[in-house]
Amino acid sequence: MYPPIRVASLAGIALSATLAATAFAQRGVSPASSSTGGTAGIVGSAQAVLASLDDAGRAKVQFPLDSSQKARWSNLPTPMFQRTGLRIGDLTSAQRTAVMTLLSQALSRDGYRKVVDIMRGDEVLRTTQGSAGAPPRGGRGAGPVFGEGEYYLAFVGTPSVTAPWMLQFGGHHLAINLTLAGSQATMAPSLPAAQPASYTFEGRTVRPLGNENDKAFALINALDQKQRSQAILPYRVSDLVLGPGQDGRTIQPEGIRASTLTASQQTMLWDLVHEWTGIMTDTFAEPRMAEIRGNLRDTYFAWSGPTTNGSAAYFRIQGPTLVIEYAPQGSVDHIHTIYRDPTNDYGAKFARR
Amino acid sequence: MITERSLRAGRRAALVLALTTAAVVNRGVSAHRLDEYLQAARIAVDPSRVELELDLTPGIAVADEIIGEIDRDQDGSLGSSEKQVYAEGALRAIAVQIDGQTLQTELMASTFPVPDAFRGGDGTIRLRATAGLPRLSMGTHQLFFRNSYRPDVSVYLANALVPESDQIAITGQQRDGHQRDLTIDFVVRTEAATPPRLLLGGIASAALLMAFVTRRTRRAVSGHRPGGLTRL
Repeated sequence: MYPPIRVASLAGIALSATLAATAFAQRGVSPASSSTGGTAGIVGSAQAVLASLDDAGRAKVQFPLDSSQKARWSNLPTPMFQRTGLRIGDLTSAQRTAVMTLLSQALSRDGYRKVVDIMRGDEVLRTTQGSAGAPPRGGRGAGPVFGEGEYYLAFVGTPSVTAPWMLQFGGHHLAINLTLAGSQATMAPSLPAAQPASYTFEGRTVRPLGNENDKAFALINALDQKQRSQAILPYRVSDLVLGPGQDGRTIQPEGIRASTLTASQQTMLWDLVHEWTGIMTDTFAEPRMAEIRGNLRDTYFAWSGPTTNGSAAYFRIQGPTLVIEYAPQGSVDHIHTIYRDPTNDYGAKFARR
Repeated sequence: MITERSLRAGRRAALVLALTTAAVVNRGVSAHRLDEYLQAARIAVDPSRVELELDLTPGIAVADEIIGEIDRDQDGSLGSSEKQVYAEGALRAIAVQIDGQTLQTELMASTFPVPDAFRGGDGTIRLRATAGLPRLSMGTHQLFFRNSYRPDVSVYLANALVPESDQIAITGQQRDGHQRDLTIDFVVRTEAATPPRLLLGGIASAALLMAFVTRRTRRAVSGHRPGGLTRL
């Protein structure tokens, strides 16, 4: 069972003890089951967030659909990257509950867990790195501000069950850009990252991106020698190639073609891809997975680095509607990843329809 | 609603987090690049030119050194001429060859962050350059790229972008272990006609067509009632 979130930061910013349980109860989905959330439920929760705010709060969270806010996201902390939107640390307890309920509605169970684990990891970073935890008033010269209060919510476009709009939630090591258009959705581009990549919380080990890491190492080790020689790039990749700011670019794919993998290896590959697409609910993730699986012949898996789990290794999965990169930042304890769809970043395909 | 029970839970969680601190301390956690100068190159091959994007991101530990190199008058600000000199210097360390023939790169644009952004480890200098290509015959070609800028502190990324023109198809990329060198194998599928030639061809065709139509019109006019067409 998904454990209740019971984080109370040292700065006094509390993500309610019962947020997760409340959210799942509101959605009527057992925490152990797969999520089936749709647009109407998300819009309802978004409207509940808006209703919890005063005029100033609503002005902060709402952006026009064609505004530059859409591409305003980063892995960097405040104030190195200045986000706009509704800052979690500025909200009342009831408003935070409304925001977290919205996220639990908009994301799958695993996606919501991932988001919370990343935020909680940043809270750990705050306590270990001595961030002031203050609102970003220090200008660019101020040191990085970590913590679970430093995450921002924005609606780009008006929440609607039919017209396109985007739910944007992000902060240090997290950018979720969920574009909804009626019954369709994409979360490209999104950036789930983690530092620390492993920490203990209430006696258990938390690894926000542990599944991504373990499934990738299992896949590379499931390849035979000849396949590995095709998959493994003979050079070091020290960072994301298509990270923040690289919208609209498509690099030449490299590595082993997915169509040359065995059926069981392909299953492992799709399971790995689902760690990113599955941040969305099944309703939205499955059409994206069907697209991705349909491009088997033009999908590639590339690896750079050691193949022993526990090592810092980079990998990339790339196809016509998919780019996933996983890039350790010099150590296994600091991971950046990116998910893109070259044909549909920010729901570009939905807008054309 | 905040209750005494939830406050106790909060204090307990705070204690747990404090203990967590001990679990992750000594890991040297850091949010950003430290002692490396990340140089990310993206190369677009077009039938008539090569376009180069180079993003330079100094880590926190090397930021002041890089700022010092840019800020030649040491006044604490980065002037436009100082930026231009730095950008051109970085570009001079880039070698680009097509089929063994050296290409001249030209700086087209550059953007620099403020010095504080460098010191935070997130300041990226963005350079855009281009190099004209000779007329390429149909068949296989090789583009060689080498980045020799600040190898003492740098890590490199170098990638070919998927060509926008369907006249060009990338068939392979080879790199050295550090991605300082990148060789791009590509095929020109049809004879590359440069845009100016296409434009001239279009203008010439249009002129011929106009002359033809005018002549036909004069003939038609001369063969019918005088001034007949002008009334229509």
